[in-house]
Amino acid sequence: MGKPIKIVLAGEGGQGVQSVAEILAEAANEKGREALYIPNFGVEQRGGVSVAYLQIGDEKIGAPKFQTADIVIALSDRAVTRTRKYVGPETVFVYDSGIENIKDELPTNTNKIYAIPAIEVSKKELHPRVFNVIIMGAVLKATGVVAMDDAKKAIEKKLGYKFEKNPELREMNFKAMDRGAELVADLS
Amino acid sequence: MPEKPIQGEKRMFVTGNEVVAWAALAAGAEIMYGYPITPQNEIMHYWTRMIPKYGRRFLQTEDELSAGFTTVGGVLAGRRAFTATAGPGNTLMQEPISMAEAMRLPIVVVVQQRGGPSTATVIYSQQEVTLTTLGGNGEGLRVVYSTATHQELFDYTIKSFNTAWKYRFPTFVLGDGYQAKMRESLMFYDPAERGIEMVPTDAYVGRPGMPGVDRAPTHMRNTYNMEEELYDVLQGYLADFAKAAPEIAEHEAFDTEDADLVIISHGVVSRACKMAVRELREQGYKVGYFRPITLRPMPEKAMREMAGKAKQLLVVESAQGQLDRLVKEVIYGSTAEMLSLFKPGVGVTSEEVITRVKEIKG
Repeated sequence: MGKPIKIVLAGEGGQGVQSVAEILAEAANEKGREALYIPNFGVEQRGGVSVAYLQIGDEKIGAPKFQTADIVIALSDRAVTRTRKYVGPETVFVYDSGIENIKDELPTNTNKIYAIPAIEVSKKELHPRVFNVIIMGAVLKATGVVAMDDAKKAIEKKLGYKFEKNPELREMNFKAMDRGAELVADLS
Repeated sequence: MPEKPIQGEKRMFVTGNEVVAWAALAAGAEIMYGYPITPQNEIMHYWTRMIPKYGRRFLQTEDELSAGFTTVGGVLAGRRAFTATAGPGNTLMQEPISMAEAMRLPIVVVVQQRGGPSTATVIYSQQEVTLTTLGGNGEGLRVVYSTATHQELFDYTIKSFNTAWKYRFPTFVLGDGYQAKMRESLMFYDPAERGIEMVPTDAYVGRPGMPGVDRAPTHMRNTYNMEEELYDVLQGYLADFAKAAPEIAEHEAFDTEDADLVIISHGVVSRACKMAVRELREQGYKVGYFRPITLRPMPEKAMREMAGKAKQLLVVESAQGQLDRLVKEVIYGSTAEMLSLFKPGVGVTSEEVITRVKEIKG
């Protein structure tokens, strides 16, 4: 029985981790695969660490949350601290290389740790707004849970109405995704 | 005549709250009464967004007491009516639900459990089991379906209207914050296309004709002058409930026949237990899986049979023994050792269940 791939995405409210998880889940579902996505949510509307739990597999998914992830993506210092507990010996841990003062917080018992300059790339090469799409590209490259083209279709479905008005947005989003994948490819 | 909300079978990928709203639409619910509380808010959001097209209605009340009583009113008028709530809202709603029990009114209530006691968390728990099965000042004359998947949320929301109107007991769909907020796949369908006939509704009050002349007068009571009067009425209700219980009770089980240890759970936690049992079986552990789908009435016969064979029973729940108490009542006399994994107010993962079983088995 193939086990689902388990992903934890965490960042500051507004960094868009929930959108990334939702689009990936929808892309997998569109391909007829099984996906389960659950956001964490509390009484706070903003200001907290936002965590998304995503599982993608070929059979119905079990419990919505899990103890150990296959891949953890942490996009802020607090997110690193918050998600350390989901790391096991097989976990790939990805964090943004722009996060400062977290050397002591990084998990030590992982399979691999990748630092990717997603924030920097989004600011310098693209636009801060597509930061989370860069992350999506990185997740796709690191896990292979969904094909790049299917993820692009899912983005098209979600944001198509905006792309119609401004085709440059589409180009920027797709470029961001490819760039995210490159950042991971460069490391492995 | 507005078109049917769902035509044909449709694979969907949505949140549980959205599932409930669609299922109520598909079941032909005519009106929802509600007051906002997390994590069930989106049920009314989706409901109000969709209903103009289908000629259904919504009333937002001033609190859950009122939401419950207006649902009672809707049913008295013969409407397929429902409400949804959670946590402290569920507490308040017990008063009108008690009245519905007293008058045998088929109200449908969807509960998305959150942490307790009091405001606690808006996130998740299984701590509203006691309240939902046995709340109010009465005898728990109600039906409670505890769902585990989005498909079940859809299926049992539809079914709850039929159970309620067939047996005339308040009926609950007991979900939780995880089910409310997560997204997973399921099939939407029109009940009629699957051969599910909706039990017709009829009005308790305001019927045509002159009372006492053309028809018997309607006499709805939730108060009695003499204790014997109440006793007689309740004997009738309790007999009806006892008769209906075996027809209503549902459960899900596997690998219990040769199991030394059977894991008992309900709702979303049973997903973790199902995975755990499968994995433990692969590793050679003789474990089984038992899940009551109805928490009220409990699947007594099946549960007693199972408990008669197993040496150990492990009850797993996101509460401090609320399911455990219901189980113990049913299996009284069983010599199986009772074990537990209680995590009040937090989720249970399959890893934790596996660890607990290995700890027991040494």
